[in-house]
Amino acid sequence: MLRLIAIRLAVFVPTLFAASLVLFVAINVVPGSAAKAALGIDATPQAIARFEAQHGLDRPLHVQYFEWLGKALSGDFGKSFQNHVPVGPEVLKRLPVTLELALLAFLIANLIAIPLGALAAFYHQRKMDTGITFLATVLGAIPNFWLATLLILVFSLTLRWLPAGGYAPLIDRPIVNLKQMIMPAVSLGVVSSALLLRIMRTAMIEVLTSDYIRTAFAKGATRGIVIWRHAIRNALIPYLTVGAVEFGFLFGGVVIIEDIFLLPGIGSLVLVGIINRDYPVLLAAALVVTVVVLAANMLVDIVASLLDPRQVHAKAAA
Amino acid sequence: MSAALTPATASVRHHGVNWRRWRLLAIGGTLVGIVIVCALFAEVIAPYSPYDLDVAVMLQGPSAMHWLGTDEIGRDVLSRAILAARISVQVALVAVGVGLVGGTIIGIVAAYFGGWIDLALMRLMELLFSFPAILLAVILLASLGTSILNAMLAIGIIFIPGFSRLARVATNDVLRQHYVDAARTVGMGDGRILLREILPNVVTPLLVEAAVAFAYAVLLESALSFLGLGAQPPEPSWGNMLNTGRGFMAQAPWLGIVPGMAMFLCVLGFNLLGDGLRDAFDPHLRE
Repeated sequence: MLRLIAIRLAVFVPTLFAASLVLFVAINVVPGSAAKAALGIDATPQAIARFEAQHGLDRPLHVQYFEWLGKALSGDFGKSFQNHVPVGPEVLKRLPVTLELALLAFLIANLIAIPLGALAAFYHQRKMDTGITFLATVLGAIPNFWLATLLILVFSLTLRWLPAGGYAPLIDRPIVNLKQMIMPAVSLGVVSSALLLRIMRTAMIEVLTSDYIRTAFAKGATRGIVIWRHAIRNALIPYLTVGAVEFGFLFGGVVIIEDIFLLPGIGSLVLVGIINRDYPVLLAAALVVTVVVLAANMLVDIVASLLDPRQVHAKAAA
Repeated sequence: MSAALTPATASVRHHGVNWRRWRLLAIGGTLVGIVIVCALFAEVIAPYSPYDLDVAVMLQGPSAMHWLGTDEIGRDVLSRAILAARISVQVALVAVGVGLVGGTIIGIVAAYFGGWIDLALMRLMELLFSFPAILLAVILLASLGTSILNAMLAIGIIFIPGFSRLARVATNDVLRQHYVDAARTVGMGDGRILLREILPNVVTPLLVEAAVAFAYAVLLESALSFLGLGAQPPEPSWGNMLNTGRGFMAQAPWLGIVPGMAMFLCVLGFNLLGDGLRDAFDPHLRE
């Protein structure tokens, strides 16, 4: 197990460096774009040259990247072009908001997907299965930002049960926090549950038709024991792997949802970075999102190995 | 449950599967057909000009004159929603095209040449795949500049890794066939083998996947326009209509409902069509 964790970490670190390089190149893909964007399209060549010299943007891209990377590794993500405030502390301050939203949304997605997926598999090719599969298709077609808008219309503007936006820290005011977080989390979670539900259904169908389940039934085990102790546990292994990918999609979705619900998280920081053309802010925020997504994938790999020890040997051998 | 299927039940199930397949294709095809007709003939179908404003009728609810109401400057919402289908279809078409062509070339080349070329290309694809799609699109747009053309390009780049993986798997399957060995034996060059033997045989699963990618492209375009990074007003897009409309939700809820419903039906249509095509071409993929 320790060997597998070491292997995963050994892959994680270079992937992270490569991801940072891709982000850096993507943001700087058009030479001079940062200066033009920050100063506006009417900026004179002299003003652009001055801005680039001031921020070190006139040097070769690889020099800029390695300098940025060196500083980033020590926690210095540079200063905002707009207000000259260090970016690192701002990102750290916002990270808990986004993590809370993403985790709550992921929890909602799983609470929908696991029981419904298992139920559909159990009633495979019957009306229940058809109904649940159709529900998954419908849920998967709903844009999460439209669902968010509809939730605001119903629960904030019409019923006045929940606030349409804002954020209070979870530790200071937990009830207010939950009231503020429930609609954003539902918007993200319900839509994400569609793919997870399909994966759970497929995985459960495969498990329920396997020999060991038939054996368990033949030995007289009750339906509940077979499903909870044998079937769901084994179906969760492929489910978890796709779940990590879906968590990545969900984490990306915070960019829009945080904007709609005025949540001061990383997603809204990405938008601030774009609206203000503040590339140090944008780069730091995007990198943090990428780190979280990659780390989630790595953790899921390790958890899946814990659930299925055969993977430890297979992956270690690979 | 464990009883073997009799010919009669097998026949019923066979017909059931066929009906299900056709039902998905029919519903999906109808929805997609409506969207495409709207996109092609928006000017003919739309009851009003989508750009003409009339402050005398602003924020009016659905009525006989304006079936889906008017917006904050008196434009007909139905007409704008119809024209917005064109933006969505255009963006999705170009984006999926970019992803399909780019991904197919990369996937086929990686599988055919193998070795370090395969390793390098696929690691790069995996890396791109690890970024949340909307984040990567937003970053590319920040750099390229916000416009509908750049949105097409950004969404297309996002699709490349997915198509390349599929193309690589399909190419590996084709490479195991004897006719590829036969082509090599008769002295065909790499270029001709790739174009004449491999490409035609990997194109079907890629086209099926394109239908599903189309749905996702519509969603991404709408999301980018919602954030103000895609189609720019006054050009109507379901995303920017929804973004503007949510500011008037209390007085005019239809401004939030109509563009979202259009997006939902369009995405649902392409998803169902993709599922139906997948069923039709490979029934095993469903399960």
